[in-house]
Amino acid sequence: MLSELLQGIETGGLLIIQDSCSYSGRDLLRSFIAAALNREEEVHVLCFDVSEDELTDGLKPPATQRLHVHNAYPDPLGWTDHPAFAVQQFRLEDLTDLVKQASQPKPATLVIDSLSWVLRHAAPPAVCRTLQQLRKGGAVRAVVALLHADMHQRGTVGSVCHLASSLVAVAPGPKGNEAVAKITKRSKSGKVAQDEETFCITEDLTVAVLSRPSSLPEAKPNGSEEEQADPTANLTFNLRLSESELEAKQKLTLPFVFSKEKKTALLHPGPGSGRILYEPDANDDYDQEDPDDDLDV
Amino acid sequence: MCNNIDVIISNMAAPVSGMGEAPAERLPINSTSFQKKTRSKLVSIPGTRPSVQNGQLLVSTGVTSLDYLLGGGLAVGTVLLIEEDRYDSYSRMILKYFLAEGVVCRHELFVATAQDNPDDILQELPAPILDDVAVPKAVEQPRLTGEPQDSLDAMKIAWRYQHLPKVQSALASSSRFGHYYDVSKTMEAEIRQAAKCHRFCLPDHVTPSSTAHRLESYSALLKSLQEVIHREGFDLAAPMSKSRNILRVGLHSLGSALWGDDLCCHDKPRHRHALTTFLYGLRALLRSSLSVAVVTLPSHLIQDRALMGSITRLCDNAIALESFKGSERETNPLYKDYHGLLYVRQVPHLNCLASQLPDHKDLAFKLKRKQFSIEPYKYLGAFGCEEARRRSKRKQL
Repeated sequence: MLSELLQGIETGGLLIIQDSCSYSGRDLLRSFIAAALNREEEVHVLCFDVSEDELTDGLKPPATQRLHVHNAYPDPLGWTDHPAFAVQQFRLEDLTDLVKQASQPKPATLVIDSLSWVLRHAAPPAVCRTLQQLRKGGAVRAVVALLHADMHQRGTVGSVCHLASSLVAVAPGPKGNEAVAKITKRSKSGKVAQDEETFCITEDLTVAVLSRPSSLPEAKPNGSEEEQADPTANLTFNLRLSESELEAKQKLTLPFVFSKEKKTALLHPGPGSGRILYEPDANDDYDQEDPDDDLDV
Repeated sequence: MCNNIDVIISNMAAPVSGMGEAPAERLPINSTSFQKKTRSKLVSIPGTRPSVQNGQLLVSTGVTSLDYLLGGGLAVGTVLLIEEDRYDSYSRMILKYFLAEGVVCRHELFVATAQDNPDDILQELPAPILDDVAVPKAVEQPRLTGEPQDSLDAMKIAWRYQHLPKVQSALASSSRFGHYYDVSKTMEAEIRQAAKCHRFCLPDHVTPSSTAHRLESYSALLKSLQEVIHREGFDLAAPMSKSRNILRVGLHSLGSALWGDDLCCHDKPRHRHALTTFLYGLRALLRSSLSVAVVTLPSHLIQDRALMGSITRLCDNAIALESFKGSERETNPLYKDYHGLLYVRQVPHLNCLASQLPDHKDLAFKLKRKQFSIEPYKYLGAFGCEEARRRSKRKQL
């Protein structure tokens, strides 16, 4: 599922990469940027956590023409007079202007590194509202954000991840440079798909999915029917039928089997639920006005 | 199929329900066609019935098992709080059932959301399964080509009972008060547009301004609801002249961060009183009008349990859903038949001293195609059914 997400996020989607101090999700974020650039998309990056050089390290020149970095790292809170981008500008109007200024007709992908910075300096409900409006508005096609889960209260992390259409939680893997990603994808109709994969990121920012852990839950209703005990097994006599015996059994006519027409006639009797079939016999000819009915004339 | 012959024979006076395909479950049926003559002066509103316990006017929630748990249905003038499951799949489903039931009973609807457009929810309403006696289905001849299990529609031996429904094992009320819905299909546009629907989408009503200290979202919602109730004549104070109707109010995901409050964001939220004040006002509004509300709340995000307790007290009925998706219970073989657990947090006592709590406390739910079934969760022990029976037999010896 990680490779599907790397190939593209649906329009109006919000992908959140949730990491902690034991494993940084920034490399995965950069591979998402690289994948989007390789798909000929415009990418706008809001850079808070690390410097621009560190973030774009490893991205090749022909692709970086479509990359627009709004560097908030030197002055994120706007203390100098001319900040490149400040936290206070994380609002729908300012972000839409920023993205449209690049003057490309296609909607862009917005990458936020990291959302934790914004959440420390702006109210979480306002940040959630801005993210929701960004998804609905037309300027930005999809949003990818990095969130440090151990920096915030559980409620804050929960509220932001509740909005996400896809969530990737990364943790250190068994070996040195490997990591485990728990992916949750929510669709509009309420279906939820979950997966857990081990991956590692190579030098040129491609993600190699290594293995799938075996503990995948398969909650399919069809599977439960097969697990029921087969009563014809482990018996001292044979209860099973061979193919020819099965055919012979089905060809056998049962004593009260009716033809198809009679069955339908009996099953769908019409408006009344019971029909009384009556043939008038001789006693019914009794005429009240003619008392001489019993005369045998 | 043939093991329920005795029960089916005793219910032979039931109307025949013809369906297009062979469903796994069938509808429960009336045991008789006897209709009680009522002499009450209550205005009879379609889709409602008086409660057998305390005489309150009840409407169906759209889920028959849930009606049974709540004492027959949802009383008019009360609020049902649904604590959402983690990914808001089943609580959204119950909200859709509630609104679909309103469309089928020709009630009016009021839908309020902060996240999606209300039209998104309205377009996803499940299609009702309508009884149609006048459409007989031709009987299929049982196939002779080596199929070991006949389809349910073509019974070879008990073919007279083909069209009669199976006995339900889920909880259900005895009378046909609610309707059934097919989740795999959406309601047709003609049926949906026949129902009058009022929408409230938060981004349209409240322009967010960063300098606002007080929350305007809940007061805007309450004002809009009050205006609709007054304008459309659902007030109880209005003269009882023409035919009355019920207003079904569906409020999706109240308390989430998109409504502007930080109940879900912080452990000690600043806006603790915004939602509780709103619920108090909502209940007052509902008690004085012919309306009923279903509110869903992402309670798994609220960290303050005392706040959650006061929110539960402010609503009349409260249930909580816990879905197995994503938790370690999903692979537990004990839970393989179900999609999640359901907890009844509160049942109201309206005009009476004691409330009717459900018999079973451990309930589990499963969303099937034609039914959302809530069953008492049968705990089979560590070894499952067979072993438990064998062990109990050995003990008897």
